[in-house]
Amino acid sequence: MSVAARQQDGTAHGASVTLHGITRSFGETSVLEGVDLEIKPGEFVAIIGQSGSGKSTLLRIIAGLDNAYKGQLAIDASKGHKTVARIMYQEPRLLPWASVIENVAFGLGPQATRHQAFAHARSALEAVGLGDRGGEWPDVLSGGQKQRVALARALVSKPDLLVLDEPLGALDALTRIGMQSLLERVWFEQGFTAILVTHDVTEALTLADRVVLIENGRIALDLPIPFARPRRRGSVQFGELEEHLLTALLKSKSQTEEYVI
Amino acid sequence: MSELALLATRHSHRKRDTFVSLLLVSPNGFVPWLLPLTVLVLWQASASYGALPPSILPAPSDVAKAAWRLTISGELLINAAISFKRAFSGLIVGGTLAFALGLSNGLSRLSERSTDTTIQMVRNIPNLALIPLVIVWFGIGEEAKLFLVSFGVFFPIYINTFHGIRTVDPQLVEMARSYGFKGFELFRRVILPGALPSILVGLRYALGIMWLTLIVAETIAAQSGLGYMAMSAREFMQTDVVVLAILIYALLGKVADGSVRVIERLSLSWHPAYRKGARL
Repeated sequence: MSVAARQQDGTAHGASVTLHGITRSFGETSVLEGVDLEIKPGEFVAIIGQSGSGKSTLLRIIAGLDNAYKGQLAIDASKGHKTVARIMYQEPRLLPWASVIENVAFGLGPQATRHQAFAHARSALEAVGLGDRGGEWPDVLSGGQKQRVALARALVSKPDLLVLDEPLGALDALTRIGMQSLLERVWFEQGFTAILVTHDVTEALTLADRVVLIENGRIALDLPIPFARPRRRGSVQFGELEEHLLTALLKSKSQTEEYVI
Repeated sequence: MSELALLATRHSHRKRDTFVSLLLVSPNGFVPWLLPLTVLVLWQASASYGALPPSILPAPSDVAKAAWRLTISGELLINAAISFKRAFSGLIVGGTLAFALGLSNGLSRLSERSTDTTIQMVRNIPNLALIPLVIVWFGIGEEAKLFLVSFGVFFPIYINTFHGIRTVDPQLVEMARSYGFKGFELFRRVILPGALPSILVGLRYALGIMWLTLIVAETIAAQSGLGYMAMSAREFMQTDVVVLAILIYALLGKVADGSVRVIERLSLSWHPAYRKGARL
């Protein structure tokens, strides 16, 4: 079922995100200069851009990690309950002194009772294919497995909005493809709104309903991706769109300053 | 049950380790004891063949006899118990203060600004240099020893607690905050476990300083305890008792250090460096 269809029959239950005139500067340097963006409930949006374009700053603002911005930000859960927003970082950020299942249960926050938390954590671990690793220490897991635990931790509280800050950036190509389909699957099953920051155009095209290109603190391109899921990377249209996005990205690079070594 | 205690019980159930077995049996078997045993044998041999006069160094067998004699009379046990009590009261008083101040300075910039410079200045005073002053203040009573030991153990625990808290991975703290952890829960689940390896290093240093300080203090200003026992034996040229006292110090130091290693192994079993069989 497409997102549009889900929205029509009311089964989309992610949060809607509305940004209006978001501006953020660090001292003299202005990083975001009036970003307007509207994200529908249950939509999967990828944000791409050069490093230093402000995409991670935008993500941190949406995730509530950065409050020193100007402009309006509204995140509303469709069913009127308090919005649960979760972030997944580039690093897994697992607590090394807690077992895998304790790390997942950590995602339910400080109020959860231990017994309840563990039951939820177990099913979240199973959803990412690590149901049998709950009792181990995080440091015995591989990089991809650690990121799957981090995903389970983010998902265990059934978020309305999942914000992903290049979570697959440090993984090898094969693990990455596996993680992409896992991400797509859980997104589809749970119906949360997903915002993914990435520098990988192929990844953005594989996962997102919409790709947003940020350039010098502004939105330079907002492109709907019409392909049916699951997507096949090899197709001609896919290649054309990839080419188009890469050109746009590289163009934005030529405008930025050259480094002098 | 606290997280740490839980980890500890879980670990001990799984590996069937008891505190005592971990303390006595080194992970490397008997190899670490080979060198001390050889020294002991050579020592006994040279004493038995007269190469070593008893007034300089008594034979190990004489030391053992002295140990037996003093155990029977109860003198050894009483003195050891007194020293032990002094050492640990000092550790508890100084350690608690240091831990509290390390936490507060690690967690609050204001607290750090108002006390850290002072602590760093006082830290450079060797605690044994205070003995004359302490005798003037407290005489040779229990307070003097308590003060000196507390003062000595304070700094390593303070510095390592402070350092441990300050070096907790800020990425983990940010992650925990984003999941709604703050205040005491953030401290209990993230900051304290992150600082624990460093805090235990501080404790190990403190235990060394604890015995050192106590022994010197008892040698100079005491009327009981192991240090006093050694000093009064010197007056009667009882070198066997002096050597016995020294050996007991070595043993106590080893036991104290071993206890912290066991605590490390139980509470830091998540840490690859402290896992059983890990090379340190």
